Amino acid sequence: MRVGVIGVGCSKFGVRECTLQELAFEAVMEALKDADLSQEEIDLSVVGCVGTRSYELMPAVVVNEYCGFSGKGPLRVEAACATGSAAIYSAFSSIKVGIAEIAIAIGVEKMTEVDTATSAAIGGRAGNYLWEHHFYGTTFPAYYAMHATAHMAKFGTTEKQMALVAVKAHRNAAKNPKAHFQKEISVEEVLGSRVIAHPLKLYDCSPISDGASAAILASEKAVKERGLDAIWIEGVGFSSDTSNMTMRESFVGLRATRLAAEMAYRGAKISEPLKSFDFATVHDCFTIAEIMAYEDLGFCRKGKGGEFVEKGESDFGGKMPVNTFGGLKAKGHPLAATGIAMVYEIVKQLREEAGKLQVDLKHYRALSHNVGGTGHFAWVFIFGR
Amino acid sequence: MIVESRELKLKHRIPVSRIANYWKGLEQGKVYKSVCNCGKSYYPPRAECVCGNQTEWVEIAGKGVVECFTIVHSIPACFEWSKPYRIVIARFGDVRVMGWCEDEVSVGDEVQIFTAKDGSGIWKVWFRKG
Repeated sequence: MRVGVIGVGCSKFGVRECTLQELAFEAVMEALKDADLSQEEIDLSVVGCVGTRSYELMPAVVVNEYCGFSGKGPLRVEAACATGSAAIYSAFSSIKVGIAEIAIAIGVEKMTEVDTATSAAIGGRAGNYLWEHHFYGTTFPAYYAMHATAHMAKFGTTEKQMALVAVKAHRNAAKNPKAHFQKEISVEEVLGSRVIAHPLKLYDCSPISDGASAAILASEKAVKERGLDAIWIEGVGFSSDTSNMTMRESFVGLRATRLAAEMAYRGAKISEPLKSFDFATVHDCFTIAEIMAYEDLGFCRKGKGGEFVEKGESDFGGKMPVNTFGGLKAKGHPLAATGIAMVYEIVKQLREEAGKLQVDLKHYRALSHNVGGTGHFAWVFIFGR
Repeated sequence: MIVESRELKLKHRIPVSRIANYWKGLEQGKVYKSVCNCGKSYYPPRAECVCGNQTEWVEIAGKGVVECFTIVHSIPACFEWSKPYRIVIARFGDVRVMGWCEDEVSVGDEVQIFTAKDGSGIWKVWFRKG
C-alpha cells in the first residue's frame, strides 16, 4: 500500500507578527484547501515544533485546537531541525500500518520571540549541553563552522565556493514569494559580511525565521476512492549520530546523511542519484552544509562539493538543481517547518506549479534531505509522481 | 502589538555525582577519559560502558592534533562576559577533546592540553599550541 501527499501548505517565512497557532493555521488551511478536505476528514494530526524560542512551551494541543483538530492526535514530534521530516514520517507510518487513512503533518516554529543571544544559546544546546555548550559556549553556527574548517583543510574548499551557495540561494529566493529574503546578493557581499563563527559569515547562515508548513498524506486506497492526485512517497531513509561532536567518525561530512540516503536509495531501488532525480531539496542551514550534502547524498565525490557549486551543477540546468526555492539559507529555516516546507516545494515542482522556479521534469522524481542538529538526525525522502 | 510573557528563569541543578572525578580532575590540572576493559574508551567520560561494565578513569596526556576549530563572534547568552573565543577539537590517541585555545591554530597543528578557570569561574579544558 503506497502513501501519497495530497495537499500542501506553507506560510510566508520571515518575522511574523502573529502567534504560533495562527501561523500554523495559515499552512493548515492552505493544505486543506489544496486537498479539498475539511478537518473532519483527517484521522490524525502530527504537530512538529522544536519550541523553547516561542512562549508556548507545550504547543501541540494549542496548535491542534486552533487548527480544528481536537480529538485527532496530536502526536508531538521533535528532531531538532529535522522535526518536519519526523512529523512526515509519523504521518506516513501511521497510514502504512493502517491506523489512519488520512493524516496531516504540521511543522511550526516561532523563532523571533526571544533576542538573538538567547536564540544562540538555545541553538547551542542542539548538541550535548553538559559537555559542549556548558563549558565551551558552542552555538549552532559554531558547530557547522568546525565542519567548514575541517573540510577546507582536507579538500581545499574555499570561502568563495561557500559564498556561491548563498548567492544561488538568494537568487532563487528572490523569485519565491514565501521566502524570508527577497533580494539577490553578490559573492563580495557574502565575503564582506560580519563573521558569525569563523569561517562562516552572516550571509553563510540561514536567517532566524518564523514559519509554518503542513502536508496531508493519504493511503493509496483513500487517494483512489476520492479520485485525488497524489505525489507518492517512494523511499524513506533515516539515521542519527552521537550528540557529542567529539565522538563523530569525521568532520568532513555527516554520516547520518550518508546512511539515511543509502536506506532511501535501497528502498526506492536508486543506484545513480544523478540520473534518477530532476532536482533535490537539501539541508543548507549553512553554506558548508549544502556542500557536504552534495557529497554525502552521492551527487559528487567526497571533497568535490565546492567544485560542484562552482561549476553550476546545483543550479538550474546543472546535473542536479538543488534548493531551487531558495533553500533554508534564503527562504528561511523555521526549524520544525523546514522538512515539511521541502515537501511543499517538491509537490509544487512535481505538479509543475512552481511558476518562475519550475524545473524541467524528466524523471518526475525528487529528493528531500533534512538534517537535525549537526547531523544528529538525518532524513531522506524520495517523492515521485 | 506585542504582549510580554511572564519571565521564567531556567537554571538546572545537574547531578554529576557518578562522574564527579572529571570535575575534581579539572581542578587538579588533569583531564580524564574513561576506559572499559572491553576495549572502549570514552570522551566525554561516562561511569558505565555501553556493555554494562563500570569504566576506569585514565588521564589524557601527551600532544593532541587539531582536527577542526572555529572562533565564535556571535556570542550566546551567558557567555557575554567573553571576547570572541576559539573552540578547538583535538585528537589525543583514541579520543577527541573539545576545549578553548587562545593561540592561533590550524587543522593539523599539535597542541598541549591543560585546565584553567574561564572568565565565569568555571574550570575547563584549554589547549596551547606546541
